[in-house]
Amino acid sequence: MSEVKNKEKVEISAQEHASREYEAGFVSDIEADTLPPGLNEDVVRHISAMKEEPEWLLNWRLEAFRHWQTMTEPHWAHVSYPPIDYQAVSYYSAPKSMKDGPKSLDEVDPKLLETYAKLGIPLREQEWLAGVAVDAVFDSVSVATTFKGKLKDAGVIFCPISEAVRDYPELVQKYLGTVVPAGDNYFAALNSAVFTDGSFVYIPKGVRCPMELSTYFRINAMNTGQFERTLIIADERSYVSYLEGCTAPQRDENQLHAAVVELVAMDDAQIKYSTVQNWYPGDENGIGGIYNFVTKRADCRGHRAKVSWTQVETGSAITWKYPSCVLRGDHSVGEFYSVALTKMCQQADTGTKMIHIGKNTRSTIVSKGISAGRGNQSYRGLVKIGKDADNARNYTQCDSLLIGDKSGAHTFPYVEVKNATATMEHEATTSKIGEDQLFYCQSRGISEEDAVNMIVNGFCKDVFNELPMEFAVEANRLMEVSLEGAVG
Amino acid sequence: MSNALNHIRESAWRTFEVDGLPSSRDEDWKYTDLSRIAAVLGESWWSAEAGEAVSADDYLIPDLNAYRLVISNGVVDLAASEIPDAITITPLAALLQDDPDAAVELMLDDSDAPFASGVTALNSARASDGYCICVASNVKLDRPLHILHLSSGGAAHIRTGITIGNHAELEIIEHFAGSDSAAGVTNSLTAIRLAAGAKCEHYRLQLESGKQWHLGRVEVNQKADSSYTLHAVELGSALSRVDVVDDLNEPGAESELNGLFVLSGRQHVDHHTRVAHEAPHCRSRENYRTVLDGRSHAVFNGKVVVAKGAIKTDSAQSNANLLLSNRAEIDTKPELEIYNDDVKCAHGATVGQLDKNQLFYLKSRGLSEEEAKQLLTFAFADELLAKMKSRAVRRYIERAAFAKLPNLSGLEGILV
Repeated sequence: MSEVKNKEKVEISAQEHASREYEAGFVSDIEADTLPPGLNEDVVRHISAMKEEPEWLLNWRLEAFRHWQTMTEPHWAHVSYPPIDYQAVSYYSAPKSMKDGPKSLDEVDPKLLETYAKLGIPLREQEWLAGVAVDAVFDSVSVATTFKGKLKDAGVIFCPISEAVRDYPELVQKYLGTVVPAGDNYFAALNSAVFTDGSFVYIPKGVRCPMELSTYFRINAMNTGQFERTLIIADERSYVSYLEGCTAPQRDENQLHAAVVELVAMDDAQIKYSTVQNWYPGDENGIGGIYNFVTKRADCRGHRAKVSWTQVETGSAITWKYPSCVLRGDHSVGEFYSVALTKMCQQADTGTKMIHIGKNTRSTIVSKGISAGRGNQSYRGLVKIGKDADNARNYTQCDSLLIGDKSGAHTFPYVEVKNATATMEHEATTSKIGEDQLFYCQSRGISEEDAVNMIVNGFCKDVFNELPMEFAVEANRLMEVSLEGAVG
Repeated sequence: MSNALNHIRESAWRTFEVDGLPSSRDEDWKYTDLSRIAAVLGESWWSAEAGEAVSADDYLIPDLNAYRLVISNGVVDLAASEIPDAITITPLAALLQDDPDAAVELMLDDSDAPFASGVTALNSARASDGYCICVASNVKLDRPLHILHLSSGGAAHIRTGITIGNHAELEIIEHFAGSDSAAGVTNSLTAIRLAAGAKCEHYRLQLESGKQWHLGRVEVNQKADSSYTLHAVELGSALSRVDVVDDLNEPGAESELNGLFVLSGRQHVDHHTRVAHEAPHCRSRENYRTVLDGRSHAVFNGKVVVAKGAIKTDSAQSNANLLLSNRAEIDTKPELEIYNDDVKCAHGATVGQLDKNQLFYLKSRGLSEEEAKQLLTFAFADELLAKMKSRAVRRYIERAAFAKLPNLSGLEGILV
């Protein structure tokens, strides 16, 4: 038992050291000071000015901010946390200098490197993740440049959103806030007012994006901000697979994260959005850790559009996240595959919304929750089938696995059906790891911890299968590393 | 009146005055809107006058050999009743008069019901009659008890307490019916306490008139190894909202909740159930089915809560919904809240229409499309009716349910 505990500590301290200078290590063209804590219209104006934004975007931000002031923080989620003081947060900080970072991997905490090794992260990426100064990892810049050229040839736009505002203002103006309106909810409104970065992707008509777009290669957009805003547009007959986050533990001083992700899929377009989230989860007593309040929504605007969300959530003290699909176009398809792990004192309230509006729309929801230690997790979902959604079809499966008698797993699925030709199925189960399964594995000489890992990986297989291959391999290892110390 | 009683009455009334009825902004009342009640029944709807009383003879269940307790427009009618000797039945009105402390106990029950919502607060404040049933330990009533709630409109607030002693058994048929001579509201709160090893088979048949609003609450408190079965049937009323709260407080308790809604026209029925596993080794089963025609709207919210320490919990819940019309609406939410790892919990919900393959099969055997649909709809609902042990009740409900759906008369021959 004590050995197990130690392992957990090792992991936590590893996380503490991980990405200490995570924001460093990339070319930054903005020179600015950190704003003092507090939020008012001047702050919003300041952010906008710093980003050299056009008038319309500033007005949009201000409108969002004014709306946000009239709103109250939602408390319906099955999570508890002390009240957040929004005036104590600094809403803009200049990217940190790379000079403070380690010069090479030799200077990086060996425990951190151990975690990376367990996750199987390539050396170059290890350097990048550990925040080794840019000139030391010059190679990766050239790799990124090669990829950028390839994308350019295909006509794909992939850049930080602030760059897109500058270079492609019509596109941004046309789509920004059309999926998640500025006043959609409390955290989305806050994000709309103060977002500082994020990605912008546009896939032109008929283009199949030649590679998976991953944050690994977002050399100029590595500044994973506190208020990230991502906008992905897949025009007619296009295809893109987007990977967000990474399996390596990431430490961020900003406790509050409120990101917004908007996806637009036109006729016959397909978007595959995969997330691996492993923010600092706080210590075993629930002290510290990231609050991850995210609004993610996809709009299947065209006929036969398809959006697929896949997420592996292992980090953050509190996760509040419902990637959703609005199935507007006829024959459009929405998918949601999720693995969420809560341990120690983590809390997650996550799920999806599938809004069927068009005819013959289909949606699939597969949610796997694993709750260990004192973790608490909830699946909260909505399947709504509108009056005109003839022959709409939904299949939902949400299973929870409990490890330890202090963990909790909850299910809150909302189903609203207004069409008699719709078919909806929902299934949910909750159980602990089967003693007979464990006994069988152990009788074959497999240690308890390995046996639990095997069973958990089997439990998550349906979701991991949906991940791009290299992510799936890492996700498997991530589960193993995350479960260390949770069993016994 | 005793001070304690006065105090409860007054504070409940204040709660109602301050909070009013729950609105659709309350999560628990999201889909059910009571705001129109004043428009239908008048400003002081909670004291609306009833029309001319109806006769119990018109609402008996054929072939049911049972004792009978008749409550007519909220008042116990002993003359029309046939009370068994083996158990004690005391009307609430008599208790309020003679033994206010006992009435207080009945009102407060050991729950937060008096103030759970504006509806129950109103019941606590206004309940003028109802009854208190005590079944002594080891007593098993030889016949079921048919509790006939008759309404001819107007407002009735009825409070009921049923206590079943150790290893005693009771079968009750709570039957709500009446005429549509006037609009009205029924506000019924039934608390059932089962002592160790007690058994209760509870039929709750709601066949009120189309002008009646039905607000009900059933609170069950179960001790060790007790067993409770509910058959809730919703066929009548314009709007019906029933909350079922079942606490499994001691090891070995078992509960089974069955519900069947057959709705047409603009009927609205909402059932919220909450099964709380508070102790180890308890078992719960829940099975709700709805058949929706016309512009009807059904809401089902089934919650299972497993407390810390309630190990070896075995719970399963299923909710199946059949939409016969494109204008009907179903909102279902099967919830699980689990704070313990040694459990086996599952739930499922489906919404759909009749299976095309099954229809095809029946047609290939010579049935017309219409007949095949009738047969399959019948089969869908009958799966729940088949759980009823009382043949007389089952037959009565089958006939009443299928009389509501058009063109089901052809099934006459296959009913039990």
